[in-house]
Amino acid sequence: MKLLTCPMNGPRNIDEFQSFGPVRARPDPNATADREWSRHLFRAENRKGIVVEWWRHVPSNYFFLAERDLVSNEIIRTFDASELRDHA
Amino acid sequence: MAAGPATRIYPFMPGGSADGTKLISGAIALSDLTDKPRFGLKGRGSSAWLAAQGIALPAVNRIGEHRGMRVLRLGNEDILLLAEGADETLGEVKAAWQAATAPKGYSSWREEGWAWMRLSDPRLAEAMSALCALDLRPQKFGADDIAQTRVGHIEAVTFRSPAGFDILFDITASAYFARTVAAVAGHTDQHRGLS
Repeated sequence: MKLLTCPMNGPRNIDEFQSFGPVRARPDPNATADREWSRHLFRAENRKGIVVEWWRHVPSNYFFLAERDLVSNEIIRTFDASELRDHA
Repeated sequence: MAAGPATRIYPFMPGGSADGTKLISGAIALSDLTDKPRFGLKGRGSSAWLAAQGIALPAVNRIGEHRGMRVLRLGNEDILLLAEGADETLGEVKAAWQAATAPKGYSSWREEGWAWMRLSDPRLAEAMSALCALDLRPQKFGADDIAQTRVGHIEAVTFRSPAGFDILFDITASAYFARTVAAVAGHTDQHRGLS
């Protein structure tokens, strides 16, 4: 069983979670050409490295962030979204 | 006629969607508390409003007590009041909430959306270990702890009650949950040579 540690509920079976994809900046609608919009909407990055992703713990409907290594698939850490906001 | 509290039909009641589903009794007993009063608030302002009523809020995933009601903190702004035997107190809180002006959160309709079941049994630990992957032994999971997890393969909130474990889950899964518990109970009996 693969475990993911929810910042609010603790370590749980990864079955209890739903992934919502990487955190990405939303393009400015007034300064973005069609080509960039298309890229933003339809293309996924496929790089090596560390990604910060949105995850949801389904039973408690709690959304949080996880840092994941895209090569080893290891979850490096999970944290509440307020942490990202506080550092922004 | 509009369905008020007096005319509301719950899944296991005659005429309910799960009418005829057997709630097991005996060594492992499952009882339905879905018609017992409860009230959930969610969203910005919920915690502040409840605190302003003098209700002491516990930490997230903990249970507090207020005038006979159990206060379940399911999230920062997600609180559920269980009022088994404390209908009057809950009635006062609900009336005050209806009359209050925003911000006061919004009703999460837990009395409509969630079933409330109770598992009790001398061999409860065995049954719960088959239903839920978490370590719910008393030394790890106390009387004021809440687990938001899966019980019997469905999303559920579970916590201890004096009689055993209480489980809250999507009301539409009521019959499924009753069958799952019955299957687990049968399996437990087989292992002990009781069937």
